[in-house]
Amino acid sequence: MLPTLIIAALLAGLAIVALLYFGVDALSQHRWGRVALLVGIVAIPLLVSAGSVSSGVHESSRTSFCLSCHEMQRHGMSLFADNRAALAATHYQNRFVERESTCYSCHTDYALFGGVKAKLNGLRHVWVHYFGEVPEKIALYQPYPSATCLHCHEDARRFVEAPPHQPILGALYDGSTSCLGCHNVAHDKAAVDAHKLWQAK
Amino acid sequence: MRRAAVVAGAGLLVQLGASFYWTPLTFIASAAVGLPLVGVGGLLFLRAVVRIMKEKGAL
Repeated sequence: MLPTLIIAALLAGLAIVALLYFGVDALSQHRWGRVALLVGIVAIPLLVSAGSVSSGVHESSRTSFCLSCHEMQRHGMSLFADNRAALAATHYQNRFVERESTCYSCHTDYALFGGVKAKLNGLRHVWVHYFGEVPEKIALYQPYPSATCLHCHEDARRFVEAPPHQPILGALYDGSTSCLGCHNVAHDKAAVDAHKLWQAK
Repeated sequence: MRRAAVVAGAGLLVQLGASFYWTPLTFIASAAVGLPLVGVGGLLFLRAVVRIMKEKGAL
C-alpha cells in the first residue's frame, strides 16, 4: 500500500512541477502565482521526497531486499536450513520474527540510533557490492550483541524459565556472557551446501 | 525558475523510477541522486527569487 501511495504522490508532484514549468511566466506576475510556484517547485517536491526516502528505508528493511545481492544468497537459504539449533532458521521457520523483515530484525540494534547505524552499514555493503571487493568470508563488524536477542527474549517465559539459562541469567543480562556462546550456529551454511532444507507444507 | 523546475522534476523522476522496484542500486539512486536534485531545484528557485528581488530593488 505504501509504495503505491508514494508512486501516486511522486506522479502528482511531477505533474505539478511540469505544469508550473509551462506557467512560470504567467504565474510570476501575480502574488498568489508566485506562492504557487514556491509551493509547487520547492515545498511539494521536498515533501514528496521525504515520503519517498521514508518508503525507501522501509523497503530496504525487507528480507527480499537484503537477499537481492548474490553475496547474501547462502545466508538467505540458511533461513530454510533443516536444523532446529540454527538461529536464523529457527527464528524464520517458527515465525519468531516477521518473515518480511527477518534480516533486519536480528541485524539492527534497538538503541536510539540503531536503525540509522544499520542503514549506514547497509550503505557500506552496497558500496562494497558495486565498487569494492567482497571478502571471501562474510563476517559481522563486531561480535553479535546479546542485547539484540534480549530485545525480544528478555522477559519471555520460555527464555527465563529454561533450566540452562537459570544460573547465567545475570551474566546474560549484563552482557558478560554471550547468547552465541551456547547458541553458536547462526546461519547453517553447511546444511545449505548439503541441501538439507526445510520445506513449508 | 524554469531551470529549478527541471532539476526538481528530474529528482522526482529518479525517485519515481526507484519506487517501482526497490533494489540496493535504486535505493542509492533515489537517496543520493533524486533527493539532492530536488534540493538543488529548491536552491535554484530561491536564487532566482533573490535575483528578481534585487533587480526590482526589493533587497
